[in-house]
Amino acid sequence: MKNTALKIRHLIKYFHDPSTFQVLKGVSFDVNKGEFLSIVGKSGSGKSTLLYVLSTMDTDYEGTLEINDQLLTGKSQNQLAAFRNEHIGFVFQFHYLLPEFTSLQNVMLPALKLGRLSVDEIENNAYNTLRMLDIEDQAIKKASKLSGGQQQRVAIARALINNPSVIMGDEPTGNLDSKNTGAVIDIFRELAQNHKQTIICVTHDNDFASRTDRTIEMHDGRILNSLL
Amino acid sequence: MKKSVNFQISSVHLLSHLGQTIVAVLGVTFGVSMYIFMNSFVNGVNKVQDDMAFSSMAHLRIFNENTTQTYDPLQILNKNDNTVFHIQNSKKIQYSEGIRNADEITTFLYTQPEITAIASQLNYNVFFRNGSKKINGMLSGIEVENENKLFDIGAKVKEGKWTDLNFQKSGIILGIALAGDLGVKLYDNVNILTADGSSKNLIVVGILETSVKQVDKTKAWVNIQTARQIYAKNQNFASDIVINIKDLEATDVFRRKIAPTLPYQIETWQSANEQLVAMTQIRNILAIAVSLTILFVAGFGIYNIMNMTINEKIKEIAILKAQGFSGYDITIIFLSQAAIIGLIGSAVGVVFGYFISLLVNNIPFEIAGLSTLPIYYKTPDFVLAVIFGICTTLLAGFLPARKASKIDPVIIIRG
Ligand SMILES: Nc1ncnc2c1ncn2[C@@H]1O[C@H](COP(=O)(O)OP(=O)(O)OP(=O)(O)O)[C@@H](O)[C@H]1O
Ligand SMILES: [Mg+2]
Repeated sequence: MKNTALKIRHLIKYFHDPSTFQVLKGVSFDVNKGEFLSIVGKSGSGKSTLLYVLSTMDTDYEGTLEINDQLLTGKSQNQLAAFRNEHIGFVFQFHYLLPEFTSLQNVMLPALKLGRLSVDEIENNAYNTLRMLDIEDQAIKKASKLSGGQQQRVAIARALINNPSVIMGDEPTGNLDSKNTGAVIDIFRELAQNHKQTIICVTHDNDFASRTDRTIEMHDGRILNSLL
Repeated sequence: MKKSVNFQISSVHLLSHLGQTIVAVLGVTFGVSMYIFMNSFVNGVNKVQDDMAFSSMAHLRIFNENTTQTYDPLQILNKNDNTVFHIQNSKKIQYSEGIRNADEITTFLYTQPEITAIASQLNYNVFFRNGSKKINGMLSGIEVENENKLFDIGAKVKEGKWTDLNFQKSGIILGIALAGDLGVKLYDNVNILTADGSSKNLIVVGILETSVKQVDKTKAWVNIQTARQIYAKNQNFASDIVINIKDLEATDVFRRKIAPTLPYQIETWQSANEQLVAMTQIRNILAIAVSLTILFVAGFGIYNIMNMTINEKIKEIAILKAQGFSGYDITIIFLSQAAIIGLIGSAVGVVFGYFISLLVNNIPFEIAGLSTLPIYYKTPDFVLAVIFGICTTLLAGFLPARKASKIDPVIIIRG
């Protein structure tokens, strides 16, 4: 049990707009610590919806979600925000950065919010992370002035800055060329293996999926060949 | 640390929309400076009015007037039976009027710490005559030094000298219009005739101009000794004792304090001049109403700008929340923007308000003894202007900030 990072049981979710429609139809699975997991499936099968629930941002669901042995279902928005800040790094499907801030500031903000380290240390870490993703040269550019792929890499750097125990990405390499995609996968593998950080990525890219530890396939709100 | 991130974010927001920020700041600046200007202007007008009024009016007046007119012994003694009286041409007894022991009373008054100046007066209505000219007016017998202390009246003497009344016992100082109407000049003679029929020739030793027409037209001053002589009163007699105290608003408190000790009537300037008090209050209310309206409009402008900003930044707010910023953090981020706008706007507004007032204070306005439009600064107005300015912006920022703090990130990010 100690080795389980995420424990998801019987997730059910409905959308009510425009008409009531069940997106998740009882999803259950576990993810181990240090595991690099990929989720694949057809467009509209509910991958993003599932990931929003896992990220603790979506609280409108039935079933339970535990991360690092903490039951998160039913916690208040502010408690969840604090939990996200410390434990979860998230890369959205459409790389959401703050356009008025520089790349560096975007990466630093979650760490400044956490307030564990001094501003200098945070800045130093942010530079290192940007360098790891090969966009150090864009550090002091406004986020709105970056290309799509550059923005996505800054978003990945931001997801990593607090050394979260769980990193989630919704097609985090969707805008990257194969060289950069390879680099990101290497980074994720390294984090999972050497730092025991858990990685969950939604992807359409079969090469990406094949380089992860395990792949879950979603179909119409359900997980195929699930053991649970 | 946590706080400084929020402030860092809010300052980036403020700086990246500098135009909007400046408009919001100017709104507050305008409101605050108008508040200061309106109030300083009204204070100035009030002060001019008070200065004019107190140039011939003391804070309190002690006098003794016949109040026995209503005394009817028949009514009092036979209140309850049905006796019918018929009295024609009833005569009233003349009770003593005026203050017989003025020295005693002024000695007592000088022991009161609130007092700043006291003067005894002997005021009567007389006819001023020069040849066939005959004008009804008021002759005021005064203590030369004390009167000057109360009203700074010496400075208003245009020709001659106030203190000459000390040396020239038969000297008289006339209001400028009265002198004109009588056709007398400095060192001419003027004859006065009292209600009792006694008359006396006096020499004009001064001509005096207050800016109050009514006074300039009807009043003249002589030494109180001379007045006592004319009316055949003893050395201690006065018709009025007038007093100035330190705080001219505290007259009623002082009146209640000394009233039990004095067997005379005491009148405060407020009760004698209710219209002055009313006008002052109406002007104050007007100034506050106008300036608060301006502040309210400025506040509404800020509310609109903040609302727009938040609608624009709704995605960014969602991102911040996704990264772990709480609703509280979001409130702080936007409320601190409002606070900064309020602080800068108020600070600039104070300076602006001061200079607008200074400018207005230099606009020529030559009526009733004024040379420019009056302005009078009071510290509480500046303090209140800043408080109102900051409160308005905080209030205007609070509602949008709360709205922002309640944004559900997943709804926005899902798109
Ligand atoms: N806000 C919403 N309101 C109503 N229905 C929604 C909403 N968001 C998504 N859906 C529906 O839920 C289903 C799952 O959507 P989801 O975004 O999870 O798909 P996905 O697997 O991530 O697809 P893709 O690979 O294209 O990103 C879709 O049928 C979609 O139309
Ligand atoms: Mg999706």
